Amino acid sequence: MDYKDYYAVLGVPKTASADEIKAAYRKLVRKYHPDVSKEADADARTKELNEAYGVLGDPEKRAAYDELGSAPYRQAGEGGFRPPPDWGAGFESFGGADSDFFKDLFAHVGGGRRRGFQMRGDDSYAVIEIALQDAYAGAGRTISLRVPEADASGRVITRERTLNVTIPKGVTEGQQLRLAGQGQPGSGGAAAGDLYLEIRFAEDRRYRVEGRDVYQTVPVAPWEAALGAGIEVATPSGRVTVAVPADSQGGRKLRLKGRGIPGTASAPAGDLYLLLEIALPPANTPRARALYEQMARELGFNPRLDPRTGL
Amino acid sequence: MNGEQPIRAVPLDEAALTLDELARACAVEPGWVVQRVRTGILLDGTGDAPEAWRFTSVDLVRARSLLRIERDFDANEEVAALVVDLTEEVRRLRRRLRAAGL
Repeated sequence: MDYKDYYAVLGVPKTASADEIKAAYRKLVRKYHPDVSKEADADARTKELNEAYGVLGDPEKRAAYDELGSAPYRQAGEGGFRPPPDWGAGFESFGGADSDFFKDLFAHVGGGRRRGFQMRGDDSYAVIEIALQDAYAGAGRTISLRVPEADASGRVITRERTLNVTIPKGVTEGQQLRLAGQGQPGSGGAAAGDLYLEIRFAEDRRYRVEGRDVYQTVPVAPWEAALGAGIEVATPSGRVTVAVPADSQGGRKLRLKGRGIPGTASAPAGDLYLLLEIALPPANTPRARALYEQMARELGFNPRLDPRTGL
Repeated sequence: MNGEQPIRAVPLDEAALTLDELARACAVEPGWVVQRVRTGILLDGTGDAPEAWRFTSVDLVRARSLLRIERDFDANEEVAALVVDLTEEVRRLRRRLRAAGL
């Protein structure tokens, strides 16, 4: 197990004061905040920072960590390392968010919760990414989580746990799914916490989602827009034939009622909006050029003409 | 562990959280939540009695974001609320930009 240097993660010397550690953490958190960061690895760095600050920002945990020094952890664990009673408390156990090193620290916590003391398990959080189509149809997902568990001697060990989760249809971005009793185990016979899964839609350039409404850009040929046409469109819920009204211009919105994300007991289905985009055929053959030239001659069309002034 | 019965995930919005459940999900005292509902930062400052409060996904994500900013930067609750409001707006605008292909 590689020792993880939390001081290096925060870029401070081992002698740094609590205030210096806090200042370094804040500066880096601002730099790597996923919503503002231009860095590619912002998410991973943020997790690392939180892990480091979770230990160094707490005097007791820091002392225990310092005592550990850079000795290989497995030996330290057998020896004088005495983690404070709440070691590992307050850390969020996102599936796989913590480093192996951290897990190993975690695994050596003995008697972290006093026996005979009843305490409900903590809630856990994770983010799950699904395709928009999954929100239409519902989906099955297998997720793995790490769960600390007390072994026979009362030491806490970490175990990989796999859950098969049925994601109901009609979920929306940012929605939290609650899996009752699937969080951290309780102690002293108390109930386990809950697991919350946050829904994110995988990036898909074809669609824009707002709540339950879905927007999709559909290219149409000039004659389809001008003359009207029945066109076939691949929507998130499958292929549908849509009537483009005659005299449509680019930017026109066609609403397909109820074809957005399906409704649930508490919310009606969203709508699907098709945004028409006029796609011009290339003038890359003599025939195509001739047709464009004919339109230019015979239609007398000036798109910049102001109908009110005639200029 | 595989091959077991799939666990049904319940969208929070169909089984909204009570005050105590939200506090537990954020690992804070209920008083922290009450204070932020009273000042209109959560639940748009509903006038209902606390036992009638119900929190959805949006509230939970928001509460957890507020807590992070308050803790990370020792920010007071109004500043944290402002940061979280702006963050939500930025995310919304980014989604629109992406959709516009920019």
